Amino acid sequence: MFKSTKGVLKALAITALITMSAVVTCAQTTGSVTMNATVSNFVELTSGGAVTLTGNMGGSVITDGTANSPLAVVVNLGELGPANTNSFVKLDVPLRLRSNVAYQLDMVSSVAGAGATAFSLKDTDVGFGLTTAARPANLAAGVDTNATPGDPTVGGSTDVDGRWVFAGANSTLGAYAVSGAVLSGPRINKANAANAAPALTLPATFAIKPQFYDPAPAITITAQFTVVAL
Amino acid sequence: MPQQVIKLAVLAISLLLAAVTCLGQSTSGTVNMSATVSKFVELHSGGAVTLTGNSGGGVITDGVANSPLAVSINLGELGPVNTNNFVTAQVPLKLRSNAPYVLSMTATVTSSGTTTNRIQAADVGFGLGTVTRAGTGVHLTGTDTNATSGDPTLPANGSVNATSGRFEFTGVRSNLAAFTSSTTALNGAFIMNAVPRSNTNGLTVPAFFAIKPQFFENGTTTISVTFTVTAP
Repeated sequence: MFKSTKGVLKALAITALITMSAVVTCAQTTGSVTMNATVSNFVELTSGGAVTLTGNMGGSVITDGTANSPLAVVVNLGELGPANTNSFVKLDVPLRLRSNVAYQLDMVSSVAGAGATAFSLKDTDVGFGLTTAARPANLAAGVDTNATPGDPTVGGSTDVDGRWVFAGANSTLGAYAVSGAVLSGPRINKANAANAAPALTLPATFAIKPQFYDPAPAITITAQFTVVAL
Repeated sequence: MPQQVIKLAVLAISLLLAAVTCLGQSTSGTVNMSATVSKFVELHSGGAVTLTGNSGGGVITDGVANSPLAVSINLGELGPVNTNNFVTAQVPLKLRSNAPYVLSMTATVTSSGTTTNRIQAADVGFGLGTVTRAGTGVHLTGTDTNATSGDPTLPANGSVNATSGRFEFTGVRSNLAAFTSSTTALNGAFIMNAVPRSNTNGLTVPAFFAIKPQFFENGTTTISVTFTVTAP
């Protein structure tokens, strides 16, 4: 009887050892966390702030630019005929660009409602240009390539017919009846936080010389900018 | 099985982050501009006045090209003491516009005389001369219609009335009596092409005023003429 009891106890002890051994063998001793992520190309165009309208007669800023907000400026340039004796009606629109990759800023424009004779205001009568400067230290190093000649009110002269001609290539909206590049460059931002990153700001300038254009009560000039990642 | 769930969760979070990022990114913007070109007409002096046939008198305030027209002239003696055929004042006018124009004139003649022999509006001959469109920026092919008979001293435009003996300007709109109220003297197509206002060219036309010295009633006479250009 005693022998049989010892045998049972041995059997139980062996079973317990085997069970414990099995538990130890199954226990996990290492672990891993695998994460996937992406950094996409990022390009952004927003307003760089309030616009500046000068030389106007009866015009005004209807919807101003607000820094860091979507660009959706609306401006009444006023009188563009000879009653306006100013040298130019000029509009400066600050643009704000950010990117983590090389970028290209394109523009497409149109002029409507000005008439259809040779003496109507044309897209070539609307001067355009971007004014660039060296990037500040808080931006990624690089040089931006300006496809325009800059401020359109600089230079220019009358042609053989006496009509004003803006100087240089890509200096009027006539060059942008179809979408074309106005500015390009390498990545703009360093690895900054997205919500506080500095930006490349520059003015886009539109200028019109008041002339003896055909009378037109409602001229509409539209310029659409689009930034793309290269 | 748990790893698949974790992978799916990571993928879902990534897509969500990407979607949020895309929604916050602005890649285009617009600048909309409106403007107006109004009708524009301008009348300026075309230059210095020419006074001929006068006895005494002189140009008091001369015309200055491209300046507002504000000429003042003393025609001098208009009685028989003046033996010249006519006292004439030629006043150059300069017009510019970006639209069809109408040049109108209104005139008044006041005399200290009280009889029918005083100088009256019909005794002051008037007419516009040759209209010239010239220079860079001028719409050279535009046509103009002169409503007057031209130089009032032309023989065809006046003669002595056989009955009264008084010299009369007889051409169409050839004296100031035709302009006692505002009346068209000239009209035409737009004058300037699309050129800046600083371009000083334009349409020039001489305005002739002429008086035949006669035995008018003695006294003083003031002749006032106002030109107005409009774009109808």
